[in-house]
Amino acid sequence: MIKTTKANIVVAGITTYIIRRLLFMIPVFLGVSILTFAISNAAGDPIALIRQGIRSAPPQVLEALKAYYHVNDPIYIRYLYWLWDLLHLDLGRSVSGTLVIDRMGPWVLTTLELQVPALILAVLIGLPIGVFSARHQYSKSDVSITTFALFGYSMPTFWLGLMMIIVFSLYLGWLPPAGAAGITRIWWGSEFGDRIAHLIMPLAVLTYVQLATFVRLIRGNMLQVLREDYVLSSRACGLRERTVIYKHALRNAITPIVTILGLGFGSSLSGAPALETAFSWPGLGYQFVRATFALDIPLIVGITVVITIMLMVANIITDLFYGMIDPRVRLG
Amino acid sequence: MQQETELESVKTAKRDTTETRRRGAGQWAVAWRRFRRNKAGLAGLFIVLFFTFIALTSPWLAPYPPRSFQSLYEGEAGQPPSSKHPFGTSRAGIDIYSEVLHGARGDLYVGVGATVVAVAIGIVIGAVAGYSRGAGGEILLMLSQVFYTIPLLPLILLFARVFQIMVVRGFGLTLILLLLGFFGWSTISFIARGEILSVRELDFVQASRSLGASRWRIIFRHIVPNILTPIIVTATLLIAGNILTEVVISFLGFGDANTSTWGITIQEGIMYMRTEWWTPVFPGLATLFAVLGFNLLGDGLSDALNPRLRD
Amino acid sequence: MKTYFFTEAGVVKAVDGVDFQVGKDEAVGLVGESGSGKTVTGLSVLRIVPQPGRILDGTIEFEGEDILAKSEEEMRRVRGAKIAMTFQDPTTSLDPLYTIGNQLVEVIREHRRELSKEEALEQAMKLLETVGIAEPELRVRSYPHELSGGMKQRIAIARALASRPMLLFADEPTTNLDVTVQAQVLELLKGLRENLRMSLVMITHDMGIIAEMTQRVQVLYAGKVAEVAETHSLFRKPNHPYTEALLQAVPRIDQRKNLKVIPGNIPNLIDPPPGCRFHPRCPYAKELCLQKVPPLEATDDGHLAACHFWRELQLTGV
Repeated sequence: MIKTTKANIVVAGITTYIIRRLLFMIPVFLGVSILTFAISNAAGDPIALIRQGIRSAPPQVLEALKAYYHVNDPIYIRYLYWLWDLLHLDLGRSVSGTLVIDRMGPWVLTTLELQVPALILAVLIGLPIGVFSARHQYSKSDVSITTFALFGYSMPTFWLGLMMIIVFSLYLGWLPPAGAAGITRIWWGSEFGDRIAHLIMPLAVLTYVQLATFVRLIRGNMLQVLREDYVLSSRACGLRERTVIYKHALRNAITPIVTILGLGFGSSLSGAPALETAFSWPGLGYQFVRATFALDIPLIVGITVVITIMLMVANIITDLFYGMIDPRVRLG
Repeated sequence: MQQETELESVKTAKRDTTETRRRGAGQWAVAWRRFRRNKAGLAGLFIVLFFTFIALTSPWLAPYPPRSFQSLYEGEAGQPPSSKHPFGTSRAGIDIYSEVLHGARGDLYVGVGATVVAVAIGIVIGAVAGYSRGAGGEILLMLSQVFYTIPLLPLILLFARVFQIMVVRGFGLTLILLLLGFFGWSTISFIARGEILSVRELDFVQASRSLGASRWRIIFRHIVPNILTPIIVTATLLIAGNILTEVVISFLGFGDANTSTWGITIQEGIMYMRTEWWTPVFPGLATLFAVLGFNLLGDGLSDALNPRLRD
Repeated sequence: MKTYFFTEAGVVKAVDGVDFQVGKDEAVGLVGESGSGKTVTGLSVLRIVPQPGRILDGTIEFEGEDILAKSEEEMRRVRGAKIAMTFQDPTTSLDPLYTIGNQLVEVIREHRRELSKEEALEQAMKLLETVGIAEPELRVRSYPHELSGGMKQRIAIARALASRPMLLFADEPTTNLDVTVQAQVLELLKGLRENLRMSLVMITHDMGIIAEMTQRVQVLYAGKVAEVAETHSLFRKPNHPYTEALLQAVPRIDQRKNLKVIPGNIPNLIDPPPGCRFHPRCPYAKELCLQKVPPLEATDDGHLAACHFWRELQLTGV
């Protein structure tokens, strides 16, 4: 009886919360899209830019492009056209001619193939380490863990990747130096093994760096929470230490972190261009860099939009978790 | 619960013995003492000072001028570390050691400069957001939140590339600096706003207002000192982040190819990583330690200025 | 008993040689300013002193057994079941993420494993009734942030009493509450004490509460005992200057005089003043007070006082 009612309240509370967060996402999306659109068009007439990319183009094509881009209309009109197309999942054509939207799919998957496992591993490994470190503050283990984490988040991720490539690929030859899958040869026997072989280094690097940030956060939060009165009062009531730490302290420590995870994913995604370039990993980041150099505007804008959407989805998911964990949010 | 903190005990002791009357002076002295005891923070300070020194003296300290391919002419391109070239030379003929020294200048310039810009913008927006009571405050808050959420790097890269085409060469680093500052102010504004909100309703502010003090006077004499602490900490950590971002930007090729930064050197080293491995290694190490230094310093300041309850 | 905190700044001697006894069904007061060591004393008895604190020296005897000799597991069974403690700020002493019911049930079932969740919930609701909470069936599903300060404090008391302890340390139970609610909570504590035949240690800085709630009282200053006496005797004629000062500082409706404040501040517990720790703020201090630590002696009035001059001084009570 009590359980069903509680579940109902929880669902209702969370739904309002999610709706509020979704509403917030709209200005974010608009903001990003406006900025991206504005700046890429500020570079000048898109036709001229494309011209820079493709040396020659017959006049009919140019005329068609001009009409397509509504070149003669003021910029806000063009933005609205673009937005309209976007909502119809039409991201235009890249300079190379293919539809932007078609190329996104595999790129997104490739990037996620790296990002998602890294995040999961970072949380799974980081949580117990962070808790341990906080409980044994100032001990030798705590100091080594903290130092280890410190190096992790002070390091340029891509550089660590480069270092690992130098050691493990170029010197030792144990692992492939670039790409997501073998081109000249298949590593480790099968196609599956090949993909794993290619995945190991970038994944290790990304996991380490995310782990470092996560351990630092959890440790910091745990340290604070462990000093709270309810931890002391729980002990005073005779609760087992395990209950005190995991049921009370940890859950309170995690709450702010859940939102941070969403942002962590965001910054990890932001760092994707560098990491993917270092490993020649053909994901969104890598393609973004190439597109930006080629000034392939539709592609650039398209990728930015996709990245933003991925971020928003990640944020919604973390918001959902946050709503489930912290009752103050649902009802407030 | 035990209300007394160790800091309070020490503070009262100071008041008893020295009877300092200057407002806040005792607080800073105590914080300094705490900081002195924090070994990690001191290490951070040392590293930061070290790099600052290098950045300031690099034109005289480095054996070769920035972006100089002299070694190529001397027939010493592509050499591993030696006594003449402690960090080796790149295949194109750049002395890595000099580049690292010059790079300190470039990266610290961007890192610190961008943070200054971000703090300036952040404080203003945050202060206005916190102080104004109407829709204006809400709008600014929303603005801060939007800037907080948007993906930094892709936008910066895009801007940098576009500006590269449009703008005069050699402006590169300053441009990056401005971009980083322009996109990175949101955390500062949250802090500023938070402090203002909590202080705004305090009694002594009401009292000042009733005595006729102008808004600006209130802000400067009462609010700013309170904000300083969290902002100093955040700013230090922001410098660390900005240096990292700058290195990423230069590495990807969006930086200024005419100025020395660690990122550019790393980028140049990629192509020949197989043979001249030292080219990307040393600038990366420099980045690591510089960022490490600022992070340690930031943590140390945080511990010293925000004492945690001990007993 | 001594409890010190080993911090980076130095050793904070929070409790520096405090002895006291609490008899069965007795209400004892532990009074002093912030920093006098009263809360830490309570924490020490329960052995939940947070890091970097440690209990050195001394014995804590409870029901004939030495608490300090017990293992952690044995101690855990004592906490809540035999000795309990409530804390000053009810808002922070309850976990904001769980319902009241959840937090009560977990304590009840911790000490009585055999109870099922439903049975424990029944008990919890009864417990809420005893502390004067209306509509317990509704309240068990509430979260702490939905309730008022007074209710939260009652719930904190309920949680501490869930397993019927014999001794309760109540640390400033009313300090964070409105004046009107304060009286209710005190009444509640009095009633509970009678019904449960429970001993109570009232930790407070408020002499008014001491007068109302306790039979005996111990005055602490800077980690040491200043005076011990029966409450009414202490109020009538204190034997220690600090006690006198505390009594003088209580505002009274029938007095027109200015509030007498105790000058100075509590001393640094890392490096306390030499001799009698109160001497820098004591209006009667003499040379001797700087040099020798006054021993706790039995006085003619039946008190224990730590002052060199208790014989000579004619102190005024209320």
